[in-house]
Amino acid sequence: MGSNRRSVSVLALIGSLLLTGENTAQAAPNTFNTALPVAQGQYLWREQLVLRERSDDGPLDREVSVQALGSVLGYGVTSKFAVFGMVPYFFNKELDVTTPMGRVERDTAGFGDISLFGRYTLYKKDFTGSTFRVAPVFGLTAPTGDDNDSDRFGELPRPLQAGDGAWDVFGGAVVTYQTLQYQVDGQLLYRENGRHDGFARGDETRFDASLQYRIWPRSMKGVPGTPGFVYALLESNLIHRERDDVGSGTDANSGGTQWLLAPGLQYVSRGWIVEGTVQLPVAEDPRGDAIEDDYIVRVGFRRNF
Amino acid sequence: MVRKLTLLLSALTVSIAVLAADNQYVLGVDGLACPFCAYGIEKRLNKVDGVTGVQVDVGESVVHVILQEGKTLTEDQARKAVDEAGFTLRSYSKAEGKKGGSNGQ
Repeated sequence: MGSNRRSVSVLALIGSLLLTGENTAQAAPNTFNTALPVAQGQYLWREQLVLRERSDDGPLDREVSVQALGSVLGYGVTSKFAVFGMVPYFFNKELDVTTPMGRVERDTAGFGDISLFGRYTLYKKDFTGSTFRVAPVFGLTAPTGDDNDSDRFGELPRPLQAGDGAWDVFGGAVVTYQTLQYQVDGQLLYRENGRHDGFARGDETRFDASLQYRIWPRSMKGVPGTPGFVYALLESNLIHRERDDVGSGTDANSGGTQWLLAPGLQYVSRGWIVEGTVQLPVAEDPRGDAIEDDYIVRVGFRRNF
Repeated sequence: MVRKLTLLLSALTVSIAVLAADNQYVLGVDGLACPFCAYGIEKRLNKVDGVTGVQVDVGESVVHVILQEGKTLTEDQARKAVDEAGFTLRSYSKAEGKKGGSNGQ
């Protein structure tokens, strides 16, 4: 019994150490946070399936697997100001780890924390066939997800929960330059994570860039109306996370810096966008034994109405 | 071959609709650079009283607005609709050579 309790404590500790920096199925930055307009009175609906695998090479052989759906609804309040709501649903969020009891699997499912944010187009310069826009973004994440799920070993470690129980705020700016041939987006975002029940995820700073290059139609000469475009995508995500707060100290095995590159494809029509990318780590500098990303697949669609 | 046929069909569709309309305005719109953005301007212009059709020619940055007989689209109405869609009106004219005015940026 005592051994079991010790094992459970070890599991809780391992979980909280290993899942640090768990990024839920955020809509951004996978080409979502452009500074492009959502027309006044227009809605934008987006669904994105996220498959994320993380692991380490340590003796615990930790593996984290996340399958989630990110749902986003946006609305153009004015031509310059749009509001968005985003909620992730976790089909499965699973940790596999080697313990003194052997290989152990712990998992959860359910809705995560809701994010609400606004985007205001501060500057725009339109040209014939192109546009340049700058838009600050501010938002918050509410603790709507379950943050005290448990299994036969007891309460799940905090980072494995669908929600983290805390209010978070984030803000930044997104810049877009779009022409008929290509589009470039850059986003700088800072997220300050709140504290709940003795735990706070490390704050996060990220710089995301995205290039979308039209590969079909190859030329717009003589093409009437509004044909669908096919873009080749290449995204870059540079992310730095501070250490998590645990109790009165910080978790030495959390946080760090990573750089991901994501090639992909996007089909854009008047009413629909269908897109997919695979984010792959190019460089990772985790602190201590923080777990690292293997890959993140994002596929989904957007709909205008 | 398929691509040529598609283009020809699209061109025919646009041309027939445009030729059939005898109450039409042509708006030059700056900032239009992708199909997804075109939807917003279509939706906004369709709310203007009397508008029966909107065709965006994204490659030329031009929007054709077709109205019911006897209805008019003023330059102010056009500018407001284009602004609310998040773009900039570059030019405004009534089709069939009857210029309703022109106003560069």
